[in-house]
Amino acid sequence: MESRPTARILTYLVLLAFVGFLAIQFVRPAFTNPPVTAELQAPPEVKRVLRNSCYDCHSNQTQLLWFDRIQPAYWLVTKDVEEGRAHLNFSEIAKLPAAQQKGILYEALNQAQLGAMPLPRYTMLHPRARISDEDLAILKNYLHPPAPDPSPDPAIKAAADSQYDQWIHASQASLSVAPAPNGIAYFPGYRDWKVVSTTDRFDNHTLRIIFGNDVAARAISEHKINPWPQGTVFAKAAWTQQVDPDGNTRAGSFIQVEFMVKDSQKYASTGGWGYARWRGVDLKPYGKDAAFTNECVGCHNPVRRNDYVYTFPIGGQE
Amino acid sequence: MKSSIKALLLIVATSFGITGCESRTPEPASTNRPAALEGQLPYNPLAWKAITAWTNPRQGTMSTLYGNDTAVTHVRSGSADPYPRNSVLAVVTWAQREDPHWFGAKIPSHPQSVEFVTMPSTPEGQPVYARYQGSPLAQVQNMDTDTVRKNVASIVSERAAVMP
Repeated sequence: MESRPTARILTYLVLLAFVGFLAIQFVRPAFTNPPVTAELQAPPEVKRVLRNSCYDCHSNQTQLLWFDRIQPAYWLVTKDVEEGRAHLNFSEIAKLPAAQQKGILYEALNQAQLGAMPLPRYTMLHPRARISDEDLAILKNYLHPPAPDPSPDPAIKAAADSQYDQWIHASQASLSVAPAPNGIAYFPGYRDWKVVSTTDRFDNHTLRIIFGNDVAARAISEHKINPWPQGTVFAKAAWTQQVDPDGNTRAGSFIQVEFMVKDSQKYASTGGWGYARWRGVDLKPYGKDAAFTNECVGCHNPVRRNDYVYTFPIGGQE
Repeated sequence: MKSSIKALLLIVATSFGITGCESRTPEPASTNRPAALEGQLPYNPLAWKAITAWTNPRQGTMSTLYGNDTAVTHVRSGSADPYPRNSVLAVVTWAQREDPHWFGAKIPSHPQSVEFVTMPSTPEGQPVYARYQGSPLAQVQNMDTDTVRKNVASIVSERAAVMP
């Protein structure tokens, strides 16, 4: 006798859920494919990969499948597409300078290589959008084809020389540096920290030294780097690669120095790290407002399992 | 209802099982073990401060110039004078490898050589050059004086990278 009311309640609940399900089908956010204004110019095989794996969220040529149109999936899908287009839109990317386009493509490729893109929740239901190793190879070859050795550029050398003179003469006077828009103050002492690693970035022709403060150096010697301890600070300084007559490349003009500051509580909303960047020899803080950190977090997110740190530190600093 | 949820979960789990092995993940966090300096060196340059860095694309190597405090203070001042006595410079050169985390970057792999230039303690003295290579790093004996002179000249002529 007891089971009958339970069964009735269950039936009502199922009916209610079904009615609710039907009702939300009529609540549909506006979703359109705006015109394609400046599509990426790339060889057909490259476009095939991008069309197949990226265009649904990163172009104005989104193709929704029937189950994408069913609520509540539709809400998620339209939100993902909106965010995707805002970050990278292959239908409008060609209006950006070529170098910037290339930088964006490198980031996209690395997001794919690290398994962050396409979103796993998307490929789960759209398995054909998965990026294969062959697809990755096509993108890599497109972005970094075999190139002849670089040759010296007198303009790059002249710029580096003049910046060096400026720096040497300014270092006597104390430079006052404005804090980053999120309140992080400059760390002038980074140049005396231990070197954690160096990187040779052939994607954007820069050379980098990654410095770590004492907390970082101790963590490396104790192999306690995932997570990094509270108080860890990294500085990553970048220079243009200046090509010498002998074909070697050296640290040329200073471009920027970027910092990651570990404080799990203070920076809880950005994965436990505070981010800051100062550009140029006059150390102009980067970012219009505190939201600039979204860029930092977006790029570091694929290595969140490594406490958001890309670098493999060289041991033995202590 | 319950059995249909179970069926749905089963479908989702199976599709994960089929496709899960394809998913990519970053290489786990670790120190860069191949790049560590193994061997008997007179100083540990990695404990010093960096002066500048360069790469040799033909050899596929990258180098960092380090200095002890005396040397670093001098070179960062931009002074045209010779390095003060007891300055020590060290060039660590690593073979490069692809950065597993970033297509577009190369990072240090095995060390190729460590070179030291020690400034003399007297005005009449000459800088002393020592080169370590191999695995573990061991000092190279009987280097010809021309090579030594050229290497010393090249190392002491490096200026500091701009670090505002």
